Amino acid sequence: MAPLDLTGMFGVTGSYLVYIGIGFCFGFILESSGFGDSRRLAAQFYFSELRVLKVMFTAIVVAMLLVFWASALGLLDYDELMVKHTWLWPGIVGGLIMGVGFILGGYCPGTSLVSTATLKIDGMFFLFGHIVGVLAFGETVGYFYEFWNSSYLGRFTLPELFGLETGVVVLLVVCLALAMFLGFGWIQRLVYGRGDPQ
Amino acid sequence: MKALFNLRVLGAGLLLAAAGALAVHGQPDLDRKWAFMAPEYASRLENREVYIDPAELLHLMNDDYIELVIYDVRNERDWNMFHLVDADRIALEDLSSQRDRLRALSELAVVVIVSNDEILATQAWKRLMALAKPNVYILEGGLNHWLNVYGVVDDEHEGHGAASLAKPDGTLRHPFKLALGARHAAAQPDEHRTPDRSYTTRVTLLKKVARAAGCE
Repeated sequence: MAPLDLTGMFGVTGSYLVYIGIGFCFGFILESSGFGDSRRLAAQFYFSELRVLKVMFTAIVVAMLLVFWASALGLLDYDELMVKHTWLWPGIVGGLIMGVGFILGGYCPGTSLVSTATLKIDGMFFLFGHIVGVLAFGETVGYFYEFWNSSYLGRFTLPELFGLETGVVVLLVVCLALAMFLGFGWIQRLVYGRGDPQ
Repeated sequence: MKALFNLRVLGAGLLLAAAGALAVHGQPDLDRKWAFMAPEYASRLENREVYIDPAELLHLMNDDYIELVIYDVRNERDWNMFHLVDADRIALEDLSSQRDRLRALSELAVVVIVSNDEILATQAWKRLMALAKPNVYILEGGLNHWLNVYGVVDDEHEGHGAASLAKPDGTLRHPFKLALGARHAAAQPDEHRTPDRSYTTRVTLLKKVARAAGCE
């Protein structure tokens, strides 16, 4: 039953090779989806191109269905999956900061690596800024340590938040995704008179 | 264009269908999860690898290096009659509330489940394994066996003494005169004053303990 103990199965070196392979595939797919281009990424926020929303949200929904179907069929122990714990207000503030950076720079951390890998200069600068930001955070977090550790909710997921069964939440998320694709596409046609470039 | 549109509609339809079927099918509860895990873990029960002797539990209770958690899954009446020192009473159906606690246990933690015999404790063991796979064991023979070994005859009616462990039925077979809970002497016997018992060590820790040298 997954999750698998890769180190136990393949040894340390083997498990690292698996991680590298997964990372390679992820980067390959991001690049082939066009996420190495900051113009396409920033266009999401102006609704002129919905590639990011459609690709990422579809990937999320497919992965979610695979995870929970695997759990339902006894192939995966969902409780053994690492789910990031929630610190509510630090998460909100961090998300806002990242959102501003995303719109200004046209990249998120992952896509800046993809862009750097294809030798785009703006991606390199964004990555450099990202590293500087991480270092700056590390050196200054002591001044806002209390806030950073505040509003801790533990492993807190949507089914717990809404008091609904996991399967129902999954269905609602899928419906939300499809509604967003349709809704944002409608806004796009309203504003720009066209859909996504093919 | 029409083909692409049809493909998108098909894709959306498939996602909705998969999500709808998942909502109907549901996620496994603890019992169903155990059924999935049984091929891998049931042998531990069949080979009695997780049943520990009362002497081993007593040793764990006196070991300061180990984080010992004792779950007592009996009813409140039996709990009030007698229970082990530092045990936590928890009903079988409430075990899922222990998920966060079990996940926070250190690598030096050992969980032991006790019931009057082994019936309830074994059910609880399966549920805890499905819940969090802790380093969990069952008191062999339950508290009936514990009291056979460490019980004080004067605490029981008519000096009852050793109870038969044959044909376990989940009942406490030591009729105590007073419901003293953990205040009976048998709740935490003095390990140095009880007769030596040989046993096969079953408990293994997830991490080696670096014990300080000293008088042992």
